[in-house]
Amino acid sequence: MLKSDWKRHFDLREAGVYYALILLVIMLGVFTSLSGRPAYLSATNLTNILYQSSMIGMMGVAMTVVLITGNFDLSVGSVAALGAAIVVGLAGPLGFWAAAAIALLACTGVGLLNGSIVQLLGINAFIVTLGTLTAIRGLVLILTNGRSLIVSTPEAKAQMVFFEGGKVPVQMALIVIGLVLVLWFATAFWRARRAGTEMPFSTIGGIIGGMLIVAIALLAGPELTVAKPVIYTGIYTLIVWAVLTFTTTGRRIYAVGGNPIASRLSGINVAGYKMAGFMLSSATAGFAGIMFGSRLGAVNPTALGGAELTVIAAAILGGTSLFGGAGSVIKTLVGALLLFTLTNGFNILNLGANYQGVIEGTVVVTAAAIYTVGGQRRKKAAG
Amino acid sequence: MSMIVLVSGRQVITEPSRAGPPLLHLTGIQKTFANGTVALRGVEFAAYAGQVHGLLGANGAGKSTLIKILCASIQATSGQMVWKGEEVAFRTPLEANRAGISTIHQDIPLVPTLSVLENVFLSKTGGFRHNARDRQVFRDLCDEVGYAVNPDALIQDLSIGARQMVCILQALSFGADLIVMDEPTASLAREERQVVYRTVRHLADSGKGLIFVSHFIDEIVALTDELTVLRDGSTVMHERTADVVEKDIAEAIAGKTVNALEHLRHERGTIRDDIVLDCTNLRSPGKLAPTNLTIRAGEVVGIAGLLGSGRSELMHVIFGADKHAEGEVRLSGKKMPRSTVAAVQSGMALVPEDRNQQAIVPTFEIWRNITLPHLDDTAKGGFLLQRAAEFARADRAIEQLNIKTDSPETFVTELSGGNAQKVTVARWLFGDVKLLLLDEPTAGIDVGAKADILALVRDLARQGMAVVIVSSEFEEILAVSDRVLVMRDGAVVAERPAGETDDHALILLAGANEKSNGHNGAETAGNESKIDA
Repeated sequence: MLKSDWKRHFDLREAGVYYALILLVIMLGVFTSLSGRPAYLSATNLTNILYQSSMIGMMGVAMTVVLITGNFDLSVGSVAALGAAIVVGLAGPLGFWAAAAIALLACTGVGLLNGSIVQLLGINAFIVTLGTLTAIRGLVLILTNGRSLIVSTPEAKAQMVFFEGGKVPVQMALIVIGLVLVLWFATAFWRARRAGTEMPFSTIGGIIGGMLIVAIALLAGPELTVAKPVIYTGIYTLIVWAVLTFTTTGRRIYAVGGNPIASRLSGINVAGYKMAGFMLSSATAGFAGIMFGSRLGAVNPTALGGAELTVIAAAILGGTSLFGGAGSVIKTLVGALLLFTLTNGFNILNLGANYQGVIEGTVVVTAAAIYTVGGQRRKKAAG
Repeated sequence: MSMIVLVSGRQVITEPSRAGPPLLHLTGIQKTFANGTVALRGVEFAAYAGQVHGLLGANGAGKSTLIKILCASIQATSGQMVWKGEEVAFRTPLEANRAGISTIHQDIPLVPTLSVLENVFLSKTGGFRHNARDRQVFRDLCDEVGYAVNPDALIQDLSIGARQMVCILQALSFGADLIVMDEPTASLAREERQVVYRTVRHLADSGKGLIFVSHFIDEIVALTDELTVLRDGSTVMHERTADVVEKDIAEAIAGKTVNALEHLRHERGTIRDDIVLDCTNLRSPGKLAPTNLTIRAGEVVGIAGLLGSGRSELMHVIFGADKHAEGEVRLSGKKMPRSTVAAVQSGMALVPEDRNQQAIVPTFEIWRNITLPHLDDTAKGGFLLQRAAEFARADRAIEQLNIKTDSPETFVTELSGGNAQKVTVARWLFGDVKLLLLDEPTAGIDVGAKADILALVRDLARQGMAVVIVSSEFEEILAVSDRVLVMRDGAVVAERPAGETDDHALILLAGANEKSNGHNGAETAGNESKIDA
């Protein structure tokens, strides 16, 4: 017997971002095939979109955690640029891995700084991270002396290519993941059936999802490959999602954002969780920066300017509340995919970059409107 | 036994003068929410000009829904509303306002950063921000109400009682004929209540109609001309106040005979030898004078004090929630660091005064709220969440505390006040709690829920828990405690065994007399109030 609230999972507020992505993909697929342009729904193009959105998606996942704790991080674009500058600058003399470790450490340090100022001094996160956004960009300009950096040794360049470049065949992995999902949820299904208890909607969703993954893997064939950053983002998202969903740490992260005073009086280390959120965000931005620097083996001091806005837009598209206490990293990832699908679609349809900003902005505000209005309706219904 | 402060003018209305038809007449009002909850099942209600009409009912009886319908923030599903002889259906609060119905909500929606004057004329259109005419109108309003307040004071600097008065002035500035007051006295100190009572009577005498919602039966009896009791969404009593006695009203609210709190007194004497809490020279600059306090297992200590007496501050200092506190707190002999994390881990529990701000996570359902403080106990290895264990706790809490809800997956914000309060208490029931600190656990909740919570307190004491309970209702403290501490101006000023004192003595000790009439102009209103204990 299915739990009676299953319909809730399909309403616009819960699943809107999925509908939007599916609708967009179908529309773009139809348009491109009608107008005789390069096929939109090809494995090459779709994996390309995954690759393009992986960096923003990863930062979006961390941003979602910060937003859930009730804070805000505007500095991620600059911090990612810092990570990229450090890794490109130091990879020659120190080797890539040591340089990456230093970059990651430095970026986490920025997170600690953000978190300490916000939590210990009690200054608004928006202001603090607006400050670090500017200051860290300045630091990048100082470090690079305002010029583009290029990695200095071929060994380091090779290590970067190993880290970031190349494609991984994923057909078998997808089939295995799909089968595991199907088996796992089928067991849950039978168990609930035998016990006669209500089963949550996720059981059915898990079985169908697993089947879909297997089907996609089989359709795409053995040449289905994705870039390494996609794998990194996938694994990272999975870990963060699991921590948020299945652990006490995750529950407390939501509680801290939902009501910090109540959380503190319930014995939760509120400042600690909120500071950890900033550190996660900056460390993730640092990792994204390392991927960015490795992609070209070079970095421009103004690189990734404005990336923070795309990251936040992805989180908003995914339905993350700016007031804290609610949000889903999976939906943020879908939000990032949606944004890059739009960009990609514009390029394929040759619509010109001038229209992109208008459409993207409209999509973000529409999404926020749907979430807000939907939320009000729910509250009203509750009286 | 009544602690109410009577206000003169009541005698004048012993024979209610029902001049003409009712100002407002509701018949067969029903309300069903979109989620299927039936809040009102046919309410009959009539309010007359020149009268104070008391509205009572347990939490969840439909009072709030009825008020929301009156001020048109929601619409009734069916039923008839007649206002000044004409059938009406207001669609927005503004329409109701313009027609002459003003509602003063419980949570006082004023702009804290603006002045009194600006708040009173908040919805005024056109004109400059300040002008002399507004000041004149404001002075006239103050005269009409018999209350003076500095028009240039900022709302954030005023006491809650004064803010309540500003709300009344605001309502009058609309030229309201009917003023609906939703629990105006729930969060007020005694002397502040008197100002409100006086104003209410004054307004009624000048021909306004008033609807006064309250949980305090004695207050309703002393203040109103007529009263209506709601239960389960229907009108179960509509009488002239003079014709009924308190016991009948309490029965109508609860739907059964309420056996007061007397029986709790017989459950005293569960005190054991081991000391649970030992505070030495505990203090906080500007909030709490040096305090020593020792509490044993199984002992219930009541703290009697008015709002602002330092009672909440004491609780927070003990719990480690006050960063500026100094002095020593020992729990079962172990010195406590100043941290709420350590407090909870060592077995302290705090049910704070402000449920919504300090206890409930609004984005969480009942079950996630209940398991939050002792989450590790339900999780595998203290890390992996186990839904089944958490639901088991929530189900137990719902059953044990008689929380009225369809399922543990309901959001706490959708519950009525009393049931939400039970959830905040239930959060601490399943962990290893040695010391339970209850700050006003019964404020603004109905008689039944109150009795449930107080009975639970005695039950927990019998099991060996040490309990500190703060309440503005001294009767409650006397009923449930073994020992009473009286607080005033941030210090413990007296200590009495609960069996050897009474509420009259506590009122005097807590300073009701010395500090009374703290408001500007309260003294000028003439009619002296007296305590009728």
